[in-house]
Order: sequence, then C-alpha cells, then structure tokens
Amino acid sequence: MLKLQDLTVDLAGTSVLRGVTAIAHVASTVAVVGRNGAGKTTLLRTIMGLAKAKQGRVLFDDEDLLHRPGHHRAELGIGYAPEDRVIFPTLSVEENLRLPCEVQALDTADIDDRLESVLTVVPQLKGMLDRSGSALSGGQGKMVALGRALMIGTRLVLLDEPFQGLAPALARQYGEALVRLRDVRPDLCVIITESNASLLMDIPSQTLTLERGALEAGAPAH
Amino acid sequence: MTLDLLILAAADGFSYAGLLFLVSLGLTLIFGVQGILNVAHGSLYAFGGYTAATLAIWATEKQAPTWVLLAALVAAALLVGVVLGGILEIGLLRRVQDKDPVLQLLVTFAAFLIFEDLQRLIWGVSPYSSTEVVSRMGNLDLFGITYTVYQLLLIPAVALAVYLGLLYALRRTRLGKQIVAVTHNREVATALGINAKKIGLITFIAGAFLGALGGAMAAPTTSLVPGVGTDMIVLSFSVVATAGLGQITGAFITALLIGMARSLAVYTAPELEVAVPYLIMVAVLLVRPNGLFTVAQARRI
Repeated sequence: MLKLQDLTVDLAGTSVLRGVTAIAHVASTVAVVGRNGAGKTTLLRTIMGLAKAKQGRVLFDDEDLLHRPGHHRAELGIGYAPEDRVIFPTLSVEENLRLPCEVQALDTADIDDRLESVLTVVPQLKGMLDRSGSALSGGQGKMVALGRALMIGTRLVLLDEPFQGLAPALARQYGEALVRLRDVRPDLCVIITESNASLLMDIPSQTLTLERGALEAGAPAH
Repeated sequence: MTLDLLILAAADGFSYAGLLFLVSLGLTLIFGVQGILNVAHGSLYAFGGYTAATLAIWATEKQAPTWVLLAALVAAALLVGVVLGGILEIGLLRRVQDKDPVLQLLVTFAAFLIFEDLQRLIWGVSPYSSTEVVSRMGNLDLFGITYTVYQLLLIPAVALAVYLGLLYALRRTRLGKQIVAVTHNREVATALGINAKKIGLITFIAGAFLGALGGAMAAPTTSLVPGVGTDMIVLSFSVVATAGLGQITGAFITALLIGMARSLAVYTAPELEVAVPYLIMVAVLLVRPNGLFTVAQARRI
C-alpha cells in the first residue's frame, strides 16, 4: 500500500534521510525504531508532505504522494498524529476530533459513525468530549491526537512517538487502544515511530530500524 | 471641563473606537493567520475611504435614497478588499511567507508607499469628502448635546456586529474553524486536510475588507487627505500591540480604551492627543510585553 523508494531528505543542508526504501502493507502495523535525531519524525513529515524530499518517491496505491500538496493526504484517508499533539485550544475535544472530517465536507451521519467507532477504540475520550482542547494533560492530548488521526485516517495512520512522555498507566491504555484498533479496523495500515522499541510490546507486525537517516536490516517481519 | 464637553468627548471616542476596531481587527486577523504585520493595511483604509467617497458623490448626484448611499460604503469596502487584498496576497505576501520578518515588514511598507502615491495619482491631494449620508440620517440628543446618528449609533453598531459575527464564525463555522487551526499551527492544519494557502487568501481578503470598511465608514465623517492611511495604520498598530497580536476580544476592548483616551485628550490636553495612544501602549508593554490579553497557552485568536 505504501512504498518508499530511495527517499532522501535534506533539512537546512544536512542530510536527514538517506535512501530509505521500505514497504508497509494493508493490515499491518509497522514500527520505525531509532534514536532521537535518527530521522523518524522527518520520515513521517515527508510522507505527509510537510518536509520536502530531495529525491525518491512515496507511493500510495502506486501514486507518488510527493507530487501532491500536503493537504491532499486527508482526502486519501491518511491520518497523522504529530509528536507534539497540537490539539486546538479554542475548540472542544469533540470539535477537534470532528474537524478533519468537516474539512472534507463529510456528512454529519458519517462523521457521527466515525466518532462512534473511534470511541470504541479509545474509550477514554468519551469523558473528555466537552472539555476544551486547552484543558488536557500531555497524555490526554496524545489520546485525542490518536483519535483525531483515526477520524480521517481510514486507510493509513501515522503516529509520531506516541509513547514519548506518557505515564506508564496511560502508555498501557494507549497500547490497548492500538490492540483494539486491530480488531475494529483490521485493514488499516499503522506506522508508529518510537525510540524505545520495548514500549511497543508485541503490537508491530514489522519493525524497521532507522539509524542516522538510513534503514538497517532490522528484525524480519513477525 | 464641563459635563457637556465630557459627554461630547465620550461620544467622539465611542464612534472613533468603532472605526479603530474595524481596522485593527483586520490587521490582527491577518497577523494571526499569515504571521505578517501588514503595513499596507493603512492603504486599504485610505483606498476604502476614497472609493466610498467617490461612489457616494456619484450616488448623491443621482439622487439615490439613503440605503443606496449606505450600500455604496459596503460595496466600496468589498471592492477594495477583494481587488487590492487579492493583489497584495497573491502578488506579494505569499512570496515572502517564510522569509525573515524584517523583510516582510519592508515589503509591506514598500507596498504601502506605492499605494500612497497611487492614491494621490487617482484622487489628487485636495480634500475629498461626501457627508450626504451623515446629514440624511439626522441627529439625536444625548444629555443635552447634539450628535449625528451615523457616528453615535451606526458606526458602533457595525463594529459590534462585525465583532460578534466574527467570534461566531471562528467558533462555529467550517471556514472559521479552519482559520483557527491554521492560526494555531499551519503544519498540523495542513496534515488534517486544510488548504492553508486558500485559508490564508480568504483571511487576507477578509482582513483587507475590514480595513477598507473602516475607511469607508469614516469617509462620510471627515475630509480625506493624503496621509489618512498613515495615521490609521500607526494607531491601529498601537491597538493591536497593546491588546496582543491576534487577540480579537483584546482588540475590541483596547480600541475602546484608546479611542476614548484619545478623544478625552483632544478636549482636555490637545497637545497630548497624538501621544496618548502610544503612552498607553508603552505603559502596557512595559508591564506585559506580549500585550494585555495574550494568554500563555492559547496562542493567537
């Protein structure tokens, strides 16, 4: 479903990604593991069209995403949860969740259904729906960011360091949400970056190791 | 100072605050989304004023009814907002989006100078005015003083309607929420499917319209001369800086504060009139460098 071919990215003159080639299939959870500064965030930002690739291709259904502006990802069913969450503070949690769907002008019934399904995956959001986006702890923000990515990401979801800075209890809840996600949406492709592979437990079906901008021959799938 | 003078000063200040708010709101809205302080906003005010006066003179000659004269003011602001705003955003601001703020400031300042000359070329340097609509709407008595309905009721009513309408739009409409999202974080907004470029253009045109509307509403109450744009941009900048950049409710309160203070100064200490807005600004910024209404967490709008 998602194929990266020889992806090379420079940021401010420094090469951050060097010839990354990888495949993520439908119905799989791919972990991208690497130290801070290895290029994990840049990899996701490049897929999202937020960072510019110097060379290479990002094929989604055999179409090169690099030819499309960043805001076209959502209509393809690609969701993204940034590392720093960015929940809009003047909107309520529910408005934050609905926003990407409203932007795509989906009808209300469809959005309601999606919200319902997201709440089964992340039940912790139920109690926060009316809360302001500014009244969330960091961990709660991560949950909302996951929910928001799932609202629009019906085919591919990119989660940038979701476990970073989560208290153990919240990290467990987050992990459980990812397990439930597998059951609720078996066809979804999920890409998770993480610096500490052990936090991911046995969730990923495939692990890629990113070392200074290049992929290492990591652990084989399963 | 007699009570009459005090009431007169308050009425002046109230009316002027309405205009000041419209212009400041446009400035702060554009800053929120584009991150650019648009000095050429003063030209939009001036062009709005001149265009409105031109349309009003023409409509008056044609014996148009009062509502047509009022509609002409809004039409002038729309015309200037869409045409000049569109040209400025697409031709200029979009190209300096990610550049150094100093460069952005210089570029909009250059645009301001060009527009200033363009305005002299089109309308000349002699005073330009059409007060027909003000006299047609008549006067009212306010605790013994006579004041025009246009200035005392219409201008503040328009300002209030714009304020409430904008708050509602940003809170409840699809477009408004997208503006809020881009203001808060352009990149994440893009990742959620929002076309930040398009939102930037729409916001810029809306902001330009508000600047031009300020000029158009002011046109029937004064004589337009070269330099009106300069006065307004400097004053509205002081409002926006005092309130905190991107603060809508803050701009509303600060415009009222500065409008009132300025007009009180006109009647009590005329030599201080020009300085008063900046004294307020300096006093506020010394205590709160990010402005009166900036909240640490909820950044802009």
